[in-house]
Amino acid sequence: MSTFIEDNAPVIVQGMTGHQGMTHTARMLKAGTNIVGGVNPRKAGTTVTFPGARDGADAQVPVYATCAEAREATGAQASVVFVPPRFAKDAIVEAIEAGIGLIVVITEGIPVADSAYCVELAQQRGIRIVGPNCPGLITLSATAGGHGVNLGIIPDGIVSHGPLGLVSKSGTLTYQLMGELSDIGFTACLGAGGDPIVGTTLQEALEVFENDDATKAVVMIGEIGGTAEQEAAQWASEHMTKPIVAYIAGFTAPEGKQMGHAGAIVSGGKGTAQDKKDALEAVGIRVGRTPGQTAEIMRAVLAERNIA
Amino acid sequence: MDLYEYQAKELLDEQDIPTPRAIFAQNSHEVAEAADALGYPCVIKAQVKIGHRGQAGGVKLARTRDEAVLAAEQILPMTIHGHKVHGVLVAEAKNILHEYYVSISVDRSSRDFDVLATANGGTEVEEIAKEHPEAVKRLHITSLEDFDIEAARRMANDIGFYHADEEQAAQILLKMWKCFKDNDATLVEINPLAKIGDPEDESSKSLCALDAKISLDGNASFRHDGWHRFEDPVHEDPFERRANEHGLHYVHLDGEVGVIGNGAGLVMSSLDAVSGAGEDQGTGIKPANFLDIGGGASAEVMKESLQIVLSDPQVESVFINVYGGITSCEQVAEGILEAVEALEGTKPLVVRFDGNAAAEGLRILKDARNASIHVCTTMEEAAQLAARIAADVKEAQA
Repeated sequence: MSTFIEDNAPVIVQGMTGHQGMTHTARMLKAGTNIVGGVNPRKAGTTVTFPGARDGADAQVPVYATCAEAREATGAQASVVFVPPRFAKDAIVEAIEAGIGLIVVITEGIPVADSAYCVELAQQRGIRIVGPNCPGLITLSATAGGHGVNLGIIPDGIVSHGPLGLVSKSGTLTYQLMGELSDIGFTACLGAGGDPIVGTTLQEALEVFENDDATKAVVMIGEIGGTAEQEAAQWASEHMTKPIVAYIAGFTAPEGKQMGHAGAIVSGGKGTAQDKKDALEAVGIRVGRTPGQTAEIMRAVLAERNIA
Repeated sequence: MDLYEYQAKELLDEQDIPTPRAIFAQNSHEVAEAADALGYPCVIKAQVKIGHRGQAGGVKLARTRDEAVLAAEQILPMTIHGHKVHGVLVAEAKNILHEYYVSISVDRSSRDFDVLATANGGTEVEEIAKEHPEAVKRLHITSLEDFDIEAARRMANDIGFYHADEEQAAQILLKMWKCFKDNDATLVEINPLAKIGDPEDESSKSLCALDAKISLDGNASFRHDGWHRFEDPVHEDPFERRANEHGLHYVHLDGEVGVIGNGAGLVMSSLDAVSGAGEDQGTGIKPANFLDIGGGASAEVMKESLQIVLSDPQVESVFINVYGGITSCEQVAEGILEAVEALEGTKPLVVRFDGNAAAEGLRILKDARNASIHVCTTMEEAAQLAARIAADVKEAQA
């Protein structure tokens, strides 16, 4: 059992037959993810071939009409959602109703009211949503030759299994830190997403890492907007036994301007990078000035604690 | 997307939330006509998407036509806290007996909707919250529950509206929620929600939204016809407009180093690195813009991005920071060279590639043998170099 999802768990893809879905399903398959189906009512009953995607052999992935049907047929434990924003709410609700335990939403541009609805419904049913507007979730197998699960668009092959966990509001900064610390390795890297409302917050990811025996320390990457970093800091100061090293992006962001991500905005003087840094440091979490320095601090922390 | 007060009023009017009669005007002639039509006294209010306009002299009372024209002539040319006045709203002046504050917004922490209200309005709600936290009520509306008139009545009671105002307040709360939901708003704020009327005549008293602030969710524009009716082309930054036309996230800043990268977080981090380098070097060099080329960008997207950034005259050098996940650094390199060729030259570029096809991308740049293109291995080094070059150019000009 790994963090978030077990190795080789069956996974379906919603929006698999679109351009994004096709590209990334091929990638996920090549990374060893056990993709067992796609969902598209108009193409139900067909099969999509991904040439050479499963250990060099062609992968045949059946398309189902609904999530419920796909889960019934495959026992899918997770769904990855690439459905465009205007149809995303219905797709996520369908996955929740089908009882799929982990729903990773890659789609950027979902109205916040739709996300709020989906997240609340998922919470009520005990289902975890990751994202939206995130690069997804990757777990690394502790077993030699085993495959972790790559759900989303995080590039495969940057890292292997090791004692670190990573949670981040940003995609490319995730890859950057994975790259900087690739020699140490990770249990799982989770892109929490850059929207105002997300299914798994920084704090909730910390909770999972705290309870995971294989994870010994956590990299947390935040950015301007909201107070998720402050809440994570508060929770960590009371409950977290494992060290966290953090990085925050957006010190130079001007007031009232959305910096790419829908949630990355300083408004009314709130949500600044400095506030977040102060809150983290106040509870003893060290914050790197650059991604490179963040990695250095993590190395120092691991050395101090004789980890890895 | 933030709306002007007069646009927010339009949305409140659509829900039959009481507001004063008011007319939007953009020159003193229109103001005089509007004031005559509404009657005196009236209020002339600057239309800017920023708070504290009253303290900055952006709100004036006019008792006569001459006063209205004078107020218009004073307010229309103003720039308030960096925001150029877009026009004025001429509104009936009301006799205020009491002020409440009510807002509905997206609550990022509880992941639902937050109703913030106080029965003791009149000043900034943040100040009230600081001095009298018990006076500010914070209630929630969740996505799954029905917020109906019964719930609104309970809420009006919890907030502590005076008994005489409670029923009307409940109606307004319900309409505010409808306004919020129907328009995919992220904020609907009425401040003040004023009790107006003749103090001697109980029957004349009622609640009225004297000022409002509404922000809309940009992600939801697809179900609102793109919000064409709220477009503000005159006030848009020309660089931001051009970038938006190409589906790029761009924010114009006031420094000297253009910044282009993939992924919002990495670009923000690059801006911070440039500012940090400017501080370290004692030059005060800062980033000139934020530009995210997004995931899987093609050579074409990179070319367009670099052309936009280089068209900004304040840019002295450009820092290009790409961590190739889906994006191929090879494509980015080709786009850089295409832009340089199309522009017949370039200001100095400092490029840092990592990840997908980084080596190939760097080789393409190296083979181009262009003295204006510099390559660095880490983003920290690249930011230092870009800041140094911009500072040198500025010094040479001085």
